[in-house]
Amino acid sequence: MPTVATRRGVLFGGGVAALAARGRAGAPMRLGLTPVFLDNDAEVIGALREALSDGVGGAIELVQRRTYQEVTGLLLQGGVDAAWLCGYPFLQHEAALTLLGAPVWRGRPLYRSYLIAAADDAAQALADLAGGAHAFSDPDSNSGWLVTASDLARLGKRPETFFDRTLFAWGHRNVVRAVASGLTRSGSVDGYVWEALAASEPALIARTRVVSRSELLGFPPFVARRDRGSEADVAAFRAALMGLHDSAAGREALVLLHLDRVAPGRRADFNGIASRMADVAGLR
Amino acid sequence: MRRLRRLPIGARAALAAAAMTAAVGLLASWLVLTALAETQRDRLAEVVRMHVDGLSLALGPAAQRRDIWEIYDTLDRAAATGDGRLALTVVADDRGLVLAASDPRRAPTDSALAALMDEAQPIDALGDPGLSARLRVLAPLAHQGRRVGDILTELDVADLVTERRRVTLALLIGNTIATASLTLASYLVVRRALRPLETLARRMGDADGAPTAIPLDEAPRSGGEIARLFRTYNGMVAAIADKADAGRRLAERERFVSLGRLASSLAHEINNPLGGLLAAADTLRSYADRPEVVRSSAGLIERGLSRLRDVAQAALDQHRIADDAAPMTPEDVDDMRLLIGAETGRLGQRLDWRVAAEPAALAQWPATRLRQIALNLLLNASAAAGRGGRLGLALTVGDGGLRLEVRDDGPGLGAAALARLTSAEAPPPGGGLGLRLVRELAIELGGSIEHARDGAETVVAVTLPGRPGTREA
Repeated sequence: MPTVATRRGVLFGGGVAALAARGRAGAPMRLGLTPVFLDNDAEVIGALREALSDGVGGAIELVQRRTYQEVTGLLLQGGVDAAWLCGYPFLQHEAALTLLGAPVWRGRPLYRSYLIAAADDAAQALADLAGGAHAFSDPDSNSGWLVTASDLARLGKRPETFFDRTLFAWGHRNVVRAVASGLTRSGSVDGYVWEALAASEPALIARTRVVSRSELLGFPPFVARRDRGSEADVAAFRAALMGLHDSAAGREALVLLHLDRVAPGRRADFNGIASRMADVAGLR
Repeated sequence: MRRLRRLPIGARAALAAAAMTAAVGLLASWLVLTALAETQRDRLAEVVRMHVDGLSLALGPAAQRRDIWEIYDTLDRAAATGDGRLALTVVADDRGLVLAASDPRRAPTDSALAALMDEAQPIDALGDPGLSARLRVLAPLAHQGRRVGDILTELDVADLVTERRRVTLALLIGNTIATASLTLASYLVVRRALRPLETLARRMGDADGAPTAIPLDEAPRSGGEIARLFRTYNGMVAAIADKADAGRRLAERERFVSLGRLASSLAHEINNPLGGLLAAADTLRSYADRPEVVRSSAGLIERGLSRLRDVAQAALDQHRIADDAAPMTPEDVDDMRLLIGAETGRLGQRLDWRVAAEPAALAQWPATRLRQIALNLLLNASAAAGRGGRLGLALTVGDGGLRLEVRDDGPGLGAAALARLTSAEAPPPGGGLGLRLVRELAIELGGSIEHARDGAETVVAVTLPGRPGTREA
């Protein structure tokens, strides 16, 4: 999920305006992103920046880091004003963070994690992939790590022993590349990303197949520090997110992102992730 | 080699030109292909070096910390941005185990690099890429001055191989066309240069070997030497024609000489009975009333006239021309004796005449030519024997054919006469042609001539081989 946050983070432009109003008058709002999702899509990022800037009436600065850990750290320390994070780090730091909005994909602010293997792999379930190499996207990604790790925890196993070898590819698209090329036998990937790639890069996706899908889980949300949630610039950013589908530029950005709109987030949508976190923690 | 020598000179010159052109073409092709191979090798070495240097820089830290994803990601991006030249890149650690490859299915992580080392060439000693579509190059992976692993690169050099094949084919076609063109040109030039000589050879062989003159308009306009050669040749042809003409005139003269001598002998032969005939006529006139005397004189006159008729008939037969192929008969032998008898009788010579041949056997040879041979030899023997001399003829037919032997007790043949009779060389000018005629007729009939002195006698023998199938002619 963290991947998706990258592009969505741009939507936080409205929030940036609010931050500027909070004491950084004239300075652009800073939105934290990671390249975990659609990392090579400059067009999407550009469209988001433009739509959010229009929404907040000011400039937006995108701050990209390689991992969720880095972006989360920046957000907590005030290096960025808002971020498009995965639900897993959001819950990890729930006490310090507040929801600004949740993207709606195919009618719901929910998505699934996919367990994938090569197209010609006969595996039918996670248990069939034991002893192979496995690609995760990020250790702080729900769909790219937590779902598979918690599934294994429910079986009483750990990824590092269940698989022969694991690696982090730092992006859901990279996980697909690793599996498609044969670098790893299987991978844990964001279902929303996998479906988006099926439209934009069908040749790449055709070399993989889905072994299993998780239950519906909360879509990667836009978040800000809880102590700044009531500030005007953050409120403006939230308003820009909510009105994204009302402007032409916003709709163009949403089409590129394969999203319907951005809705107010509900904490209950992340209960599934919280449950999985508890399972993993139980094994540790 | 012998077959080559049998070829016309034009073809040989063309083949020589073709061989030289082909040799030059092959040498040039070899030089071009060698240069092309070196260029390709240098180009490949440069590509590999740039690739490896770039990867070393990018992958050194990742290899050191064994970051498989980062190594793969870098290799995959490098392959995607390349021009397709890099078919496979494999990075291995310092133990020879694969860390990651641009195609992990071909080189899985933790597999042995050695499995891919077949025919891999070290980057510092890159050889000729040859005609293989793939080339593997091994280079060390260094980081901070220390070797942390190896990079094996597999290059797709199919385009270079295709380029080399295309150049080779172009050279082959070009050389073939050049060789064929030069061969044809050489052939045409040499044939044109040799055309006057062909004309000369054809003219020399015309009309059953009798040379004929070349019209000067057939001589090349620009060929001074050839024109001179043609003029010299024409001069030789004219000289030969003149000589043949002179020979014919001499033969004609000799024929008249022989005729003269025969006419003289015949006159003598006719004159001899004339005295008796006149005397018989006078007796008839004086004793017309005495029947026994009239009968006796009439008989005398009849015998004398018969003799005259025989002589006239023999002379006619000797010079008949129309029936050249008529076979020899005993009557022809008698004619010869009658004709030479006139001459020997005039000179008071003794004639020894011996003939041992069946009429059927004699018929194998043509009468006219055999009579000419015999009569010429007899006339020559008679002239050599002189007044009161002795000569003889012996004619036999056996398994070896016909042998005609004429002998006389004269002083023998002089060198010039002997040359005319027996030598193949052209006879010196002057002298009679009777003996030369004997030689030519004998050779025509496939025979041979022998000459010998037997004691005080000169013997000339002509042997003619049998001619089966002509016996009944």
